[in-house]
Amino acid sequence: MNILVCVKRVPLTGGKITLTEDEQAIQTRHLGFTVSPHEECAAEEAIRLVEAHGGESVVLTLGPAEAEEQLRDMMAIGIDRGIHLVTDGGEWDPQATAAAIVDAVRADGTQFDLLLFGNESADAGNYQVAVRVAYALGLPVVNGIKGISVDGAGLRCERERTSHPPGRDVYAVPMPAVVTVLEGINLPRYPSVPGRMRAKRKPLAAAEPARAQPRLEMVRLKLPASSSKQAEVLGHGADAAPRVVEILSEIGVM
Amino acid sequence: MILAAALAASGWLFAVRVRFLVALLRSGAPVTRSGDVPVRAEHEATIVLGQRKLLQRLGPGLLHALIFWGFIVLAPTILIAMIGAVSKHATLPWLGHQGWYAFLVDIFATLVLIGVAGAFWIRKVQRPERFKGSHLGEADLILALIATIALSLLLWHATRIALGLNEYPASSMPVSDALSHLFGHDGVTRVLERAFVWVHVLTILGFLAYLPRSKHLHIASAAFNVWFGRTRARGRLEPLRFDDPDIPEEDIRFGAGTAADLTWKQMLDTFTCTECGRCQDVCPAFATGKVLSPKLLIMGLRDQVFADGGAIVQARAGSDGGTGGPAGPIDLTSLVPTAVPEESVWDCVTCGACVQACPVSIEHIDHIVDLRRHLVMVESSFPSEAEPMLRDVERSSNPWGKAQSERADWADGLGVRILEPGETAPEYLYWVGCASSFDERARTTAESTVKLLQKAGVDFAILGAREACTGDPARRIGNEYVFQAFAEQNVETLNEAGVTKIIANCPHCFNTLGNEYGDFGGDYEVIHHTELLSQLVRDGRLTPRRSESLSVTYHDSCYLARHNDVLAAPRDLVGAVGEPVEMARSGKQTFCCGAGGAHMWMEERAGAINENRVREAAETGADTLAVACPYCTVMLDDGVQSAGAQLRVADVATLLVEAGAAD
Amino acid sequence: MSATLVFMESADDELSQQAVTFAGQLGGEMSAVAIDAGEAYAPAAWAQTLVELAQERGATAVVGPGTDRGNEVLAHVAAKLDQPMSANCMNVTPGEPATVTRMRWGGSLLEEARVHGAPLLLTVAPHAVAATPAADVQVMAVSGSASDADRVVRVSETVPASTAGVSLADADVVVSGGRGVGSSEGFSVIEELAALLGGAVGCSRAVTSAGWRPHSDQVGQTGTKISPEIYIACGISGATQHMAGCKGAKRLLAINPDGEASIFASADYAVIGDLHEVVPAISAEIRKARGT
Repeated sequence: MNILVCVKRVPLTGGKITLTEDEQAIQTRHLGFTVSPHEECAAEEAIRLVEAHGGESVVLTLGPAEAEEQLRDMMAIGIDRGIHLVTDGGEWDPQATAAAIVDAVRADGTQFDLLLFGNESADAGNYQVAVRVAYALGLPVVNGIKGISVDGAGLRCERERTSHPPGRDVYAVPMPAVVTVLEGINLPRYPSVPGRMRAKRKPLAAAEPARAQPRLEMVRLKLPASSSKQAEVLGHGADAAPRVVEILSEIGVM
Repeated sequence: MILAAALAASGWLFAVRVRFLVALLRSGAPVTRSGDVPVRAEHEATIVLGQRKLLQRLGPGLLHALIFWGFIVLAPTILIAMIGAVSKHATLPWLGHQGWYAFLVDIFATLVLIGVAGAFWIRKVQRPERFKGSHLGEADLILALIATIALSLLLWHATRIALGLNEYPASSMPVSDALSHLFGHDGVTRVLERAFVWVHVLTILGFLAYLPRSKHLHIASAAFNVWFGRTRARGRLEPLRFDDPDIPEEDIRFGAGTAADLTWKQMLDTFTCTECGRCQDVCPAFATGKVLSPKLLIMGLRDQVFADGGAIVQARAGSDGGTGGPAGPIDLTSLVPTAVPEESVWDCVTCGACVQACPVSIEHIDHIVDLRRHLVMVESSFPSEAEPMLRDVERSSNPWGKAQSERADWADGLGVRILEPGETAPEYLYWVGCASSFDERARTTAESTVKLLQKAGVDFAILGAREACTGDPARRIGNEYVFQAFAEQNVETLNEAGVTKIIANCPHCFNTLGNEYGDFGGDYEVIHHTELLSQLVRDGRLTPRRSESLSVTYHDSCYLARHNDVLAAPRDLVGAVGEPVEMARSGKQTFCCGAGGAHMWMEERAGAINENRVREAAETGADTLAVACPYCTVMLDDGVQSAGAQLRVADVATLLVEAGAAD
Repeated sequence: MSATLVFMESADDELSQQAVTFAGQLGGEMSAVAIDAGEAYAPAAWAQTLVELAQERGATAVVGPGTDRGNEVLAHVAAKLDQPMSANCMNVTPGEPATVTRMRWGGSLLEEARVHGAPLLLTVAPHAVAATPAADVQVMAVSGSASDADRVVRVSETVPASTAGVSLADADVVVSGGRGVGSSEGFSVIEELAALLGGAVGCSRAVTSAGWRPHSDQVGQTGTKISPEIYIACGISGATQHMAGCKGAKRLLAINPDGEASIFASADYAVIGDLHEVVPAISAEIRKARGT
């Protein structure tokens, strides 16, 4: 199987988010970065599928020069090669992102059996890049997957139901296809040092796509109105227990 | 004739084995244990000749010393006996004629027998726990052989006296003389005289052949093992090299996966183990019912080294013509779990009690860390609960996974100077550490420390968000690669700022910054906060008020007391605020709090090390348990909760503030 | 003349009802549709149905709930029409261009954006507005204009849930543990309290990463988003990605030994202490109050 995984470099925000003065971005000085969680699981899934069924896995990102770190991290856990669509770090809206990915896939020339995405990126959370890529490439697409297995010439995809009755919906999806996954589909492996070293030498193709004009145009970022609420301190240690139970009673959950 | 044959046979057996052992050592991975010759010589003198570490336990130590010194004195008697075996009337030139030497021989042979008798009593009557798991049968055989050698020597002398063969007066050899009354001047005695000398010589020759194939090898290897032990910076782990241009990537050593990966010093460690169990006795993991025994660890590794030894030597001989270096690629058994159970590897808290107790300078921590390095870096195999710590250290630059942008939040409103990029450092850089930055219990230490430094007018600053984890937790759990990335990053930050002196309130930061960053271009004068505070009190720049009603017992941190010899300064401070009372296991005999070796981030299976220590502290009757380490603060406070003890755990700096030193 | 088409997962789905309320901000005519419950869910086919309806009715906006399926269906609509789509909006101001305030980081950050496209496509952030029951919901069959390609991805079967017990997403009470719990066994006190209150057990991402609880217990931006009557968070410091998962909670009680923990800034009630002491004490107090 030839599998493409698309990932995004996102900051690790910690306990609070601070914005740059111009309100155009998060203040990321002193923040660490990672691959967005759903996507890290997508990469792990790609590696497992290739381990089981042979083939090649490719990781792609649209992001600044520093995003190479995320590509190498994914190659360190086993992805075979990378594609870096280098930007100046500015905002790309979902349509521009999808278009750049589609161009890169066509330019790469590989017939991918599966294109894996995270269901939504941790930061922008637009829920749509994968769907747009699928339509542009004429491929079927299913979202929110928590389990994938190869079933004959296609895939069996499982998705948690969010409405009654609880359980999982199953989709039989022919390949080639686009699938978005959720964190929890697997537990990504921890990279070995030989893996990290090999990753440094794995092939990485770079391109600098031109950004289309945004159709969903970010004007500014802002923090949600902080509720002026002050937590009512019910007590310290075990002494607080009676007051807690009073509250639980008042709420009606006792 | 017979002697020549016996000597040749024994000599050949001895030589073959020694040649194999040397070839094995030369196949070991390289490690630098040279330089500091005066210190090495001092170790030989005190530890080997002076039996210093053995005497840490006076009784058994003295018994061993008698046997050891006895054998040094008796060494020439081997030649005398061999000469005497061939020719009844011949002896060693000069020495063989010295009455004073004969006297010494007599006394020391007797002392050896006393030593052996004492050893048998310990092993058979007293039966201490530390021998659990040791090969007692082998030890008994060795003791019996030693006794035979000493006894046969005395009896030989006794029969010679009875036959009038000695040239010096009987008073020169009081013991042999007393024994000589057992023998008459007759034919039986003549036969016995020959018998005893031949028993003596053949036992020695047999022992010679057996020696390098048994744990008695230590009598030869211990001298070397002590010589090649660390001379300084006990707390420093030896770095791995990932970027040596002369070593192809597939040959990089990532710690110890098989016996072929062990360094020659580690192999020598395993040859030198006498199975005495003193390490096992002081190990906090073993004491709380865990699988780890440092003794069994070394014994297990030794057995695997010998099991794979032939293959290792052969592979190296084949690959590079024996010029030294690692063996070529061979298929060897993994050390974990075959030689060392997996839990053992993770049970270790790197407290160093085993290394301190070992009379022959075995460095158990190096073995554990190298086993961990292979498991973590090559196999990605480690306790799953440590994974968040590893990922957080790497991605967020601290094991708490909190944003570095929040690292200096504890200092808000305290008027602490944060050193910005481009600014030059003040006299001291106060390295706060991740624990005091992010853990609420450890935070009070940082708050107290800055108040005291400000009161005393010390010129200092903190790095704030630019202070990344020293990498100690990653290094101790075995991820040397991630550790080195942080070492390099922090050294760059510190060097750019021109930092020369660092105050650290965490002994792990203190150890890593002071002892380990030197390998990465970082040479700083690092002092523990208690050292500076105690100096300030001595100088009168801080004046705490002592309270006689405050009864305080001080818990020594392993990384302060044992690894780095910082004992007095925290005690001075405790004495300056209250009434000190010592625990039994204090100073260098301290018992770990349980957080070392990255255990702060791992679960504890079986009994709790921290509760063990807390119970000991409670027994002193003190109401305050003083500490000088953020990990100890958290672990012992947890221990107080779970053991239900009536103790308040507080850092020495906080006690100083409470005694008014910052007013 | 503005006309809004609102997609509902079902007439009585609360988040879909919120979407109807939200759509009121756009003014003009509004019609709410749901797809026949007998139809297997097929996002592309359902989206095609909405596209056709929108064209028939001259819809200037198509709105859906910010649910798993809502976001997916609207994404399909957007791809089919090659128009921008704003997911999880908190509010909207119609215009040329329209502007929206939408959620980033699961709601921990907001984005003001201009939408250059028509019709206006958006999904509504859960609990951005209160639900008003929709009066007139048309239940439609999937449109004939949906092609075979549109039906390729559809639910072919449903596997029932293997785990019994209270579902985290639906529970009225959720008791969660974080790093402070210390081990997988340590969760027994959390489980005890949850059981006493008939609630579900949750956990933070560090706990899942440590292997102490399965991912299905994880509350957070990339885990399960909960909306209980009360969320009791024990030993959880309050990272934004976790808070994004429990924003929907009506009340938050935080139990943490660190008085400075960021979770207290979002909590309604606070207990400063170690969960290993506090939680068993609460359980004991509950039993006492019930006389058991």
